[in-house]
Amino acid sequence: MSYLKTKCFGLLIISFLLIFVTCDPLVTQFEDLEDSIMYTSKNIKAPPITVDTVTVMTWNIRFGAGRVPWFGDSCGDRVMLTENEVLSSLEGIAVLLNQVKPDILLLQEIDVESKRTRYVDQVQWLLNHSHFNYATYASVWKAQWIPSDGLGRMNMGNAILSRWPIEEAVRIQLPLRGDQDELTKYFYLRRNILKAKILLPGLDNFYTVNVHTSAFSMDDTKQKQINIFTAELDNITADGGLFVAGGDLNTLPSGASFTNYCPGELCPDEKPEDQEGCDYSLETTWLNQLYSTYTPAIALDKYLSDEEKYFTHTPDWTGFWDRKLDYLFTNHKWILNSASTHQETTALSDHAPVSVKWEVPK
Amino acid sequence: MKKTILYFTILIFLLQLNTIFADESKESNNRLWSQGTAHLLPKGRMEVGFFQPLRYGWSDKLEFSTQPLVNILMPNMSVKWSHKSVAGFFISTRHSFYYPTPLLRVISREGIGGMISPEFNIPHMISLYNEILFSKQIAKNLLFNGKAGFAFALKSGDLDSRSTIDLPLIFPRLAVFYNGYGFRFGADMEGKLFKRWLYLVDADVFYAPGQNENFAFENKGLILWTKSDRFQLTIGYKLSYAEYPFGTQWHLLLPIFDFQWAWQLK
Repeated sequence: MSYLKTKCFGLLIISFLLIFVTCDPLVTQFEDLEDSIMYTSKNIKAPPITVDTVTVMTWNIRFGAGRVPWFGDSCGDRVMLTENEVLSSLEGIAVLLNQVKPDILLLQEIDVESKRTRYVDQVQWLLNHSHFNYATYASVWKAQWIPSDGLGRMNMGNAILSRWPIEEAVRIQLPLRGDQDELTKYFYLRRNILKAKILLPGLDNFYTVNVHTSAFSMDDTKQKQINIFTAELDNITADGGLFVAGGDLNTLPSGASFTNYCPGELCPDEKPEDQEGCDYSLETTWLNQLYSTYTPAIALDKYLSDEEKYFTHTPDWTGFWDRKLDYLFTNHKWILNSASTHQETTALSDHAPVSVKWEVPK
Repeated sequence: MKKTILYFTILIFLLQLNTIFADESKESNNRLWSQGTAHLLPKGRMEVGFFQPLRYGWSDKLEFSTQPLVNILMPNMSVKWSHKSVAGFFISTRHSFYYPTPLLRVISREGIGGMISPEFNIPHMISLYNEILFSKQIAKNLLFNGKAGFAFALKSGDLDSRSTIDLPLIFPRLAVFYNGYGFRFGADMEGKLFKRWLYLVDADVFYAPGQNENFAFENKGLILWTKSDRFQLTIGYKLSYAEYPFGTQWHLLLPIFDFQWAWQLK
């Protein structure tokens, strides 16, 4: 019997040891710099061997929720999507991708393992249903359980999709919101910059940089994030690299004629003092350095001459685009007049994609 | 992984069999601190813990129990019924009902604390769980317990499959309400370390046929300190492996602890 006793007690000890190698954190926190997650399409399609131009697109796809009145961003009451809703939305996104045929795609708000989107790995799904071969992904919001509104398990982030191999990719942590209590901050989003070196034929120093800055911070968090993003682009330039960069900067272009959207966005049962991220009045200069240092896909004077044509976002799930938040920049050249704001995509997300052709240096 | 765990559990069980059938016990079917065994509390004895149920020995043949902390939001009751010994095994059956609707409705809410999206309707639901427990003292200080159970659920309406709580311990226990029925098997060994110190190692398997995520395994290890017939302290861990809608995952709850008190009422 002492053998049995020893055996059972041994099992107890072994189980204890097992525990420590299998324990996952409730909320994933990140180092300042980490490798991002690599993906490969299940069907590799031969990419072009020689290229003169590269079509680049940025799109906040709203985790495949289309224009569903989601509770967190559009005065809605929906939290959990059906699998049909998610797949239908992704199919719509894939249709546009197959029409525009971008070579490099910067995605924001893409889910890979979230309960709200039925755990569909949207990066892998889009790779498998488009002409892209490779992708890299960096979580913005990763938790085994978000204890609010039934959200549950969450893994949402930024991704870069490419026809060519991605040689190296890193996730660069951005400052967390400074205007939240510690408990909320612990469970909240961890914004990042996703930087990938893409093996474009003939270039060994070409980078794609994707960012999604804070949408609802009421302090200077977003400004800090934009400054770090700009500094990262400065570093690439200083090292002799070339880049296409952009994403959802959640900031209006300098000179935008309308900057306070709060009165029209008050949800029922919401107090004006509780509104977040709708008044950009104090942020009108935050993109100046980006605009003055690098080349935007849509020049500022062009934007100001016809603002509505370049709007990319609305939180109103029944409305049309009413502001520009999504941008692309380069330290090289865009093909003149090649930029498009795909405003026909109202059913697919609360953001419209922006695409533009990049000139490959000879 | 699922097969490995099943094989491991079966192997441990088989390894015990020769010892289990080796000797006959003449002990009474009543036993103190006997939660999880086929034994019943002595008549008139009451035991309760923070996390353990409130149990009451109604007679030598019947024991009632309930989880008092959650009873307001999840009315529940179990009755354990002692049967004749077979092949030296003490045999009992336990019959339980749970009405989780009020609790699930409370946690189906907007904002902080919402574990289920408020967009879902939670119907009236009860589950009835019936299990057989068998225990045998296989050595002076070593008790073997086994159990096998079947649960089924009755609902007043549909329960949306998106309303699952994909967390360890909770997901497999609520699976019966989504699947309609399920099985549970388990075994544990409880032995004396020295003086008032005991240990317990157990393994439970949950199986809900027909679901995509139909398997869960839990292992618990406890050290128990019995101060007297009236107070017991336990500390240990719980390890869980389960299939969830997002895939499989191990989880650990550490430490788990409980304080238990007991009284002789009559």
